[in-house]
Amino acid sequence: MDHRKELFDWKEPYDTAGTSDLFIQTMRDCCRFHYDNCPEYQRILDAADFRPEELKEEEDLERLPFLPTVFLKKHHLFSMPLNRLPIKATSSGTGGRYSKIGFDAGGLAGAFKMVIRVFSKLGLLSPVPCHYIIFGFKPHRSNHTAVAKTATGYTLLTPALSRTYALKYENGKYEPDLEGTVKAFQKSAGSAFPTRTIGFPSYTWFALKLMEEKGMAVKLPKGSKIMLAGGWKQFYKEQVDKHEMYALAEKILGIGEEDIVEAYGAVEHPILYCDCKKHHFHVPIYSRVIIRDVETLKPVENGKLGLVNLITPMFRGTPILSIMTDDLGILHDAKECGCGIDSPWFEIIGRAGFVDIKTCAAGAAEMLKGGTGK
Amino acid sequence: MILYGGETYPSDQQDRLLSDLEKRIDRTLCGEGLSRETVISTVDRLAERIEAGEFDELINSFAPDKAQYYKETAVRAMKRETAHKRLAIELPEALFSGCTERLNKRVFPLGVLFHIAAGNAEGLPALSVYEGLLTGNINILKLPSADNGLTLTILRELIRMEPALADYIYVFDTPSTDLEAMKKMAELSDGIAVWGGETAVSAVRALAKPGTRLIEWGHRLSFAYISGYADKETELRALAEHIASTGQILCSSCQVIYLDIDRLEEAEEFCRDFLPVLDAAAEKYLHLDIGEAAQLSVRRYCEGLERAAGYTEKSKKRFNGKNSSLTICKSSTLELSDMYANVLVKRLPEKHILPVLRRTKSLLQTAGLICRPESRDRLTETLLRAGVNRVTLAGSMSVPITGEVHDGEYALRRYVRVTDTENC
Repeated sequence: MDHRKELFDWKEPYDTAGTSDLFIQTMRDCCRFHYDNCPEYQRILDAADFRPEELKEEEDLERLPFLPTVFLKKHHLFSMPLNRLPIKATSSGTGGRYSKIGFDAGGLAGAFKMVIRVFSKLGLLSPVPCHYIIFGFKPHRSNHTAVAKTATGYTLLTPALSRTYALKYENGKYEPDLEGTVKAFQKSAGSAFPTRTIGFPSYTWFALKLMEEKGMAVKLPKGSKIMLAGGWKQFYKEQVDKHEMYALAEKILGIGEEDIVEAYGAVEHPILYCDCKKHHFHVPIYSRVIIRDVETLKPVENGKLGLVNLITPMFRGTPILSIMTDDLGILHDAKECGCGIDSPWFEIIGRAGFVDIKTCAAGAAEMLKGGTGK
Repeated sequence: MILYGGETYPSDQQDRLLSDLEKRIDRTLCGEGLSRETVISTVDRLAERIEAGEFDELINSFAPDKAQYYKETAVRAMKRETAHKRLAIELPEALFSGCTERLNKRVFPLGVLFHIAAGNAEGLPALSVYEGLLTGNINILKLPSADNGLTLTILRELIRMEPALADYIYVFDTPSTDLEAMKKMAELSDGIAVWGGETAVSAVRALAKPGTRLIEWGHRLSFAYISGYADKETELRALAEHIASTGQILCSSCQVIYLDIDRLEEAEEFCRDFLPVLDAAAEKYLHLDIGEAAQLSVRRYCEGLERAAGYTEKSKKRFNGKNSSLTICKSSTLELSDMYANVLVKRLPEKHILPVLRRTKSLLQTAGLICRPESRDRLTETLLRAGVNRVTLAGSMSVPITGEVHDGEYALRRYVRVTDTENC
């Protein structure tokens, strides 16, 4: 019995209660697979005295050893031979280090089904063709980041009339081309078909600001949407309040708050979290979220702030079945949202780390490791 | 926020303001120059106001735990006596002025200094600008991204008290990613003072034209060396308080405790003695915010995973306290600890001091020395010969002492040039 296939074939993507047993079975299979095929993972579970068979109900998930993203950035683990992994994606490497994650064919098939189900549930699939403006990387053979792959993937949601990229590969590196995107906005405003933007919130924001500075405003056709994904990255400092962005999008593009969708995800946990009409990230049936105390790393109750631990049995290429992000967040009960989706939701509040403080002693350590000989 | 000619502007005015800056600078350089006395007396008056408590609320708002310490340190650095003492030591008349038979020597400011400041010490960017003013330079400051508004407040206040300073202080909050703007500022400058790690320094080297004087501060490591005690209990407590109160984030913070022992087992005894002392100090001084606490927990958890997965050598032994930890390492190399009261303990017999420390010679800064009184002179000599620039008592590794060198150099001397005029 292929539990994973059954889980990803499930019709209702937010039926977490109805799929609880199936989810745990799939986790158990996945855990067993990685335990048997990844020696480092096996040693980690052995050291914690944990066996895959101990996953019997949802409560057992919290005892499953999790791998922090920083660990995955430092050590690249695989549970399958590399030639059997169709996609090896790297994270976008905030801070200079990259995770390397192997995605197996079975997992990718599941991912495809997940994307279709989640988007159709949220009304994002449409037969109406549209123009795409992508605030992300234009695909190039040198770019293995998952962000580049998924952004283009999103343009398959509806038939694409055109694709304009904000980050173009020129002279051996990516350069932002905001002027180009502004022109594309002007052009699409006159089109009979809607426009969708997809990509980094930072570049989306910069383009909106640029248009505001130039005193430009257009009214995009009905059905146009702004889709935000990928986080603020190096523009952490420029991060703006969501509501400020919504207001500017309305003013400059005529796109209302209800047509702005944000996605959350990570290459180490490629589950698609899309916000509902109340802008909350609900947990789909393909994953579970545990919030952990920042000091003890033990689970905290819903409503309390802590580190975000994400769990999914989606992939067999790399043991990413339970990973710990650098994000600080809060998990809420389903009923606290009221959008009608009956599954818990979470919000991201901040990031772990000594974010803004670059210590000079740490700088010295970089030099030691870099061996620049200065 | 931008501070330009004494006025503040929103950040989006940057490019416009920068394009006018060269003209302004040329005009200022044509003028009479900045009198040293004006700078010293204005800063001294501001120090008095800080001392009197006028800025307590502000200081409290960003450093509630260490407000008093910051206040005292800032006031001491800003006082007239300190300025005179520093000038006497760093730029003594006798060294530069005076005439040879044919030459008349004078000290001039470099001209324009571009300060790229680091965010790990409160008020440091302002201090960097003060050093530039004291030497008569026009100062362009790029704020660190972590700046909390303190620098701007101090500098704006100085200009309000002495409008003549307006033409000598320009502050921009340019992000380091805005290379165009950084390049423009670098082109306008005669010297660039950069505080920061390798990334910052390499970036600046790429920006600067050949011939621009680069003044690189930072990227240093410090350690404590223990070879017996004069008063064990007091000395260990002072070391622990230094470690906890600086959070080990400064160049002068102790990363490694070196023990003058031959057998590694002896280090365990030291750890058992020292851990409770360090833990108590951390409890008292170290207050992590939620993001820092999270990062530290994850880092510790990762170490466990790495051990379990078989990535780490079994050559490390860790002693965990409630708020701190000590890790005994087999290797003697000086390296960065996990910081925030997580200290490395290593073996370094006296005869190995020089060869081991020489391996990291370009990064050595302070050694906090704990030893028997009769060994102090000998050990100090050895440490200095190995490349260490400061030898202090263990408790005062990060306490600024007036007149001290900075990474082996006098800061003010780097901010001036000496001119020769042939006598007729």
